[in-house]
Amino acid sequence: MEGKKTQKRLQANTALRQIITDFYAEGHKAKAEGRPVIWIPPMNGLIELFYAMGITPVFPENWAPLCAAIGANRKNFEYAAKRGFSNDLCGYFRNNVGYALDGINEENQPLNGLPKPDCLISFGAGCIPTMKTFQVLCDHFNVPIFRADLPQVAMEKIEKRHIAYAVTQIKRLIQFLENATGLKFDIDKLRQAVIYTDEACRLWDEIMATRSTIPSPFSAAEIGIMFVMVTRHGTEIAVNFLKDVLREVKERVARGQGVIPHEKIRLFWDNIPLWYNMQLFNYFEKWNAVVVAETYTSAWSLRLNPDKPLESIAYKSLVSYPLVSCVSLNKRIELITKAICEYKIDGAILHSNRSCRPISMGQLDIMRVLDEKLSVPSIMFDGDHMDGEKFSMAQFQTRIDAFMEMILEKKRASRSSVSRQIDG
Amino acid sequence: MNMNQEIQDLVQRSKEIAREEKEKKGRLVFGTLCSYVPVEILHAFNILPVRLWGEDTNNERANTLLPAFICPPARNIIAMGLAGHYDFLDGVIHSYTCDSTCGLFNIWCRNLKPAFSFLLSPPYMNTDEAVEYCRAEFMALIAALENFTGKRFSADKLQESIRLYDVARERIGAIYRAKRNGSRVRYLDLYHMNLALQVLPIETVVPFYERYLSNVRMSPGQGERHRIMISGSVVSDQDILGRIEALGGDIVADDTCLGYRLVRERVPAGEDPISALVRYYLNLPPCGSRADFPARKDYILKTISCFDVNAVIFMHQKFCEPHLGDHPFLKNVLTEKRIPQIQLELEAEGLSGQMQTRLEGFIEMLGAR
Repeated sequence: MEGKKTQKRLQANTALRQIITDFYAEGHKAKAEGRPVIWIPPMNGLIELFYAMGITPVFPENWAPLCAAIGANRKNFEYAAKRGFSNDLCGYFRNNVGYALDGINEENQPLNGLPKPDCLISFGAGCIPTMKTFQVLCDHFNVPIFRADLPQVAMEKIEKRHIAYAVTQIKRLIQFLENATGLKFDIDKLRQAVIYTDEACRLWDEIMATRSTIPSPFSAAEIGIMFVMVTRHGTEIAVNFLKDVLREVKERVARGQGVIPHEKIRLFWDNIPLWYNMQLFNYFEKWNAVVVAETYTSAWSLRLNPDKPLESIAYKSLVSYPLVSCVSLNKRIELITKAICEYKIDGAILHSNRSCRPISMGQLDIMRVLDEKLSVPSIMFDGDHMDGEKFSMAQFQTRIDAFMEMILEKKRASRSSVSRQIDG
Repeated sequence: MNMNQEIQDLVQRSKEIAREEKEKKGRLVFGTLCSYVPVEILHAFNILPVRLWGEDTNNERANTLLPAFICPPARNIIAMGLAGHYDFLDGVIHSYTCDSTCGLFNIWCRNLKPAFSFLLSPPYMNTDEAVEYCRAEFMALIAALENFTGKRFSADKLQESIRLYDVARERIGAIYRAKRNGSRVRYLDLYHMNLALQVLPIETVVPFYERYLSNVRMSPGQGERHRIMISGSVVSDQDILGRIEALGGDIVADDTCLGYRLVRERVPAGEDPISALVRYYLNLPPCGSRADFPARKDYILKTISCFDVNAVIFMHQKFCEPHLGDHPFLKNVLTEKRIPQIQLELEAEGLSGQMQTRLEGFIEMLGAR
């Protein structure tokens, strides 16, 4: 094995840290200025609407990875457990419920914590833990609540009726927001927000596509850049940041600079990362391996039509959850198959994630497709995207080491076979 | 043969009966996942709906397709599918309720390859727009069935199917009410009658319900027993239900994926049958996967009041996020009302020793109050 290798961290991370700080500071600023703070569920196309109306959104779900990264998750889990919530529930749920019900009152929180909500938006949509999180919040905070609906439809089965229904819900929400904030909805501002999101998605695809280069300019350790796709869609902030990221990764590609200097193995990652242990992605460097593609980042691979802004955010709301879950296993397998070919993957790592049943179901089917149709070796490990107690680093390393050796052996055998054919 | 045994045997023979319907009568047979599949529409196409349900205690076969941290019912169902217990099915339909069942549906379709499959995406709310949208979903299902069967949809046939299912639900509802009022009805009979409605041809079961109803007798001693409501998702552990009653508990009401919730409502009259059916499904008492806390609280408290319940046993499947997410809230609701409750976690082990001890302690505690 080689010596020191990593050149991994993108300079854009400096800007990202500021974007994260600013995002949370904005919520507190809104609170201090008497503007309503509204908590919303993740991965819906509501964010464009909020920014178009000048309302500051707060995402509890997005707070969870941050808590895991800084170690605040354990305390929140304890709070949730004291409230009677089972340890078998999703870690996002336990963290966010524990935080919102009790942790939020603690002093000296990182980034000053989350400002308490003045309104809650609770959708029947997304995964069950997301839906239940907001039901708990609605029960706990004595604030106005907007309840709405978003059916679960497989991405490839979305029809006009689904979009039309989602649009009715968004129109109801607009009315609620106008009443709650006194602000007026302006379709042109929404159109502009949709233009920003569409551009962000286009840039996102272009950034991700650079990873198909050998060597890959960055690894899954940079997945944090996704923060702008969750929280800053609908704004120029996301567009400008992603332009900078694209410029940086393109420069790396032009220089032939990989995240590690001697890339030998290219990996695919399925399921959510371990937010409390992002260094895990660095472990692969020991084997000159890089995670160059993953399922989770494909959630943002979509395009919007600014000529139809309401329909666009309705569509975005409808696809964001099914795209990465098992609402359509076939679609997910199709996306993975495409990624395996485009990113020239040597092996796949599947995180069997106790905190996320929707993404973990179907992984055994995915492994079979990888093996039987794509001849790509894969390995599965047990973990949890929020709870380090449900993950064993030692076991992970043992399994990964054996897996990497197997991939290298396979590549050596393949090279020998090619050489023999050339010689022969 | 007594009627308890008769209904139990009928349910036990349900797969055999479905095979007979298919082979002798040429009927198509569809598996359904969750209680929100509009079975009346299937029936109107002369399709036999069979709810995928089971208590296969050897669900290790599921390990080839599902992680260990998926709820036992989902694992049981896929294990039975892999074992060929449902090899007679021509199609599978899921109406989206929980994430795990949707995953199960996808995995079932991919591996067991039914000729027909459909994921229905019902709304979570019950507004005018939701009704209109849900109607469009039902129409999409009807179009897919027309395409698959080569038959034209008939509103008259749907009307007749609705009538049959309504009669069945009315009869079972009447048996619940008879039990409430002191008639001698074993909860296991109700369990089997509810299940029969889901897994047997409707024409077979309606006459049984009528006979059962005409035979129920008042039982003066019933009032001395503890009136219990069970609450959870899929509850198929008959040993546990039987043990509760043997210990002196009388399960008079339920809040599960199989029981009273599905028979309380009727399809409203006066509309076209599809819209009426939509209203029936959207009016169903709330399932934990689809409803918010106020609706769950309202249903549970009303049911407790209606059936004069004095204790609740939560029967939660291991890893069942909809119900585990609701539990602390509902527990607090009951505590405020001073209604004793206990939570049992079901892990596909049936009536374990520990569970038996807890049940004994709980019923004893009720007796001491």
